[in-house]
Amino acid sequence: MAEHASLAQDADVAHEMGLNPPAIERRLRAVGLGQDDMVRIARIRDEVVGHATEYASAFFNYLQPFDDARDLLRNRELIEQARRLKVEHLHAMVAGNYGSDYAQQRLRLGMLYSRAHLEIPTFMGAFHNLLRMIGAGVLKNARSSGEGFEDFMALEKVAFFDLALITDVMVLDRERTIRRQQEAIRELSTPVLQLRDRLLMLPIIGMIDTHRARMLTESLLHAIRANRAKVAVIDVTGVAAVDTKVANHILQTVAAAKLMGATVIVTGISAEVAQTLVNLGVDLNKLRTIGDLQGGIEEAEQLIGYQVVAPVREARPSLLNGATPP
Amino acid sequence: MPVPILRQGDVFIASIQLEQTDADLAKLREDLARQVGEMRVRGVIIDVTTLDVLDSYATRMLRAIAYTSRLRGARTVVVGIQPDVAFSMVELGLDLGEVSTALDLEEGLAVLRAQEPDVEHV
Repeated sequence: MAEHASLAQDADVAHEMGLNPPAIERRLRAVGLGQDDMVRIARIRDEVVGHATEYASAFFNYLQPFDDARDLLRNRELIEQARRLKVEHLHAMVAGNYGSDYAQQRLRLGMLYSRAHLEIPTFMGAFHNLLRMIGAGVLKNARSSGEGFEDFMALEKVAFFDLALITDVMVLDRERTIRRQQEAIRELSTPVLQLRDRLLMLPIIGMIDTHRARMLTESLLHAIRANRAKVAVIDVTGVAAVDTKVANHILQTVAAAKLMGATVIVTGISAEVAQTLVNLGVDLNKLRTIGDLQGGIEEAEQLIGYQVVAPVREARPSLLNGATPP
Repeated sequence: MPVPILRQGDVFIASIQLEQTDADLAKLREDLARQVGEMRVRGVIIDVTTLDVLDSYATRMLRAIAYTSRLRGARTVVVGIQPDVAFSMVELGLDLGEVSTALDLEEGLAVLRAQEPDVEHV
């Protein structure tokens, strides 16, 4: 079952990367892999296959001292799987067939590294070490060092093809994480706070896009009904930029709140946002704005009819002055 | 089914229900125009709590009722517009103009009270 899920996931990744047969063809052309390379690779096949397990061990041993490889090396299940995939990789590297299946295998390994939080520089180092070892082995068995070098360079084309795929996957996975986090931030509920009886506050922080603006409106309007609010203060101090759409959305929210009998005060419009709004030609006549949140809340309190009075300190007889308490 | 007009002190209360047609609204407008002057009421409250949509005709009618009543000497407050109704009205570009709005009946009465001129009763 887990195997099925991961296969489906791999297909997803391949799809997201646009890794179709023409794309793979293009990648192979980029490293310049030709027919004569195939012949050379076939010549060193036995050497690589014979030492595949050894090379794979060397690859993971190389990772030992690196902090970011710890997650991978400590997880027994993960490292077993990685080892198995690496040996398969070495076999496949010299098998002479570099199509969709081969690319798919690279993706799987790349995803595994990425999930284990292995970083690209560390991976590159280990991969380089692996290639150095393979190169040494190839040269040792070659008839001449010139020929051995050429044979190894043919294999290196495949290796660089692999590198490109694996780093692409790792970057893609990182982008996915960022995207997920962005979604999570967006999903964070936009709180509508009750400051006093019938007075609501809606602090907006961060980017507003159409989707979030809609959510803001919805929660504000429902909160107005639920709390029987008369005044709502929308504070946009934390908003760095707005566009026409968002500005209009705020205006719509204000108009909708008015239809429900509530007044909306917008506070904390920054200099940049104010200039943008003016440049966009947004009609702000319908908007009641106050410079900062404090002013907005004071205005709101006045609208509802609250009067905030500072407590009067009673002059108490002080013991220090020798006066006796009553 | 025509909209019943209830009298509470010097305020008329008309509650529009889901099943009422455009013709009923037009009738309400006529009735109010006549009765506001006859009964010397100071305020009219139109309650739309149960409506889940207010289209352009209904919006225009509400405006017309408010303006007519104003000319006859009563202020109008529309109460009970639901959140979703309010937002879809705004999205459709519908607007009640200068007509006062309030959350519910109680609020509407408070709005009318607040607008009453202070006249000392002797």
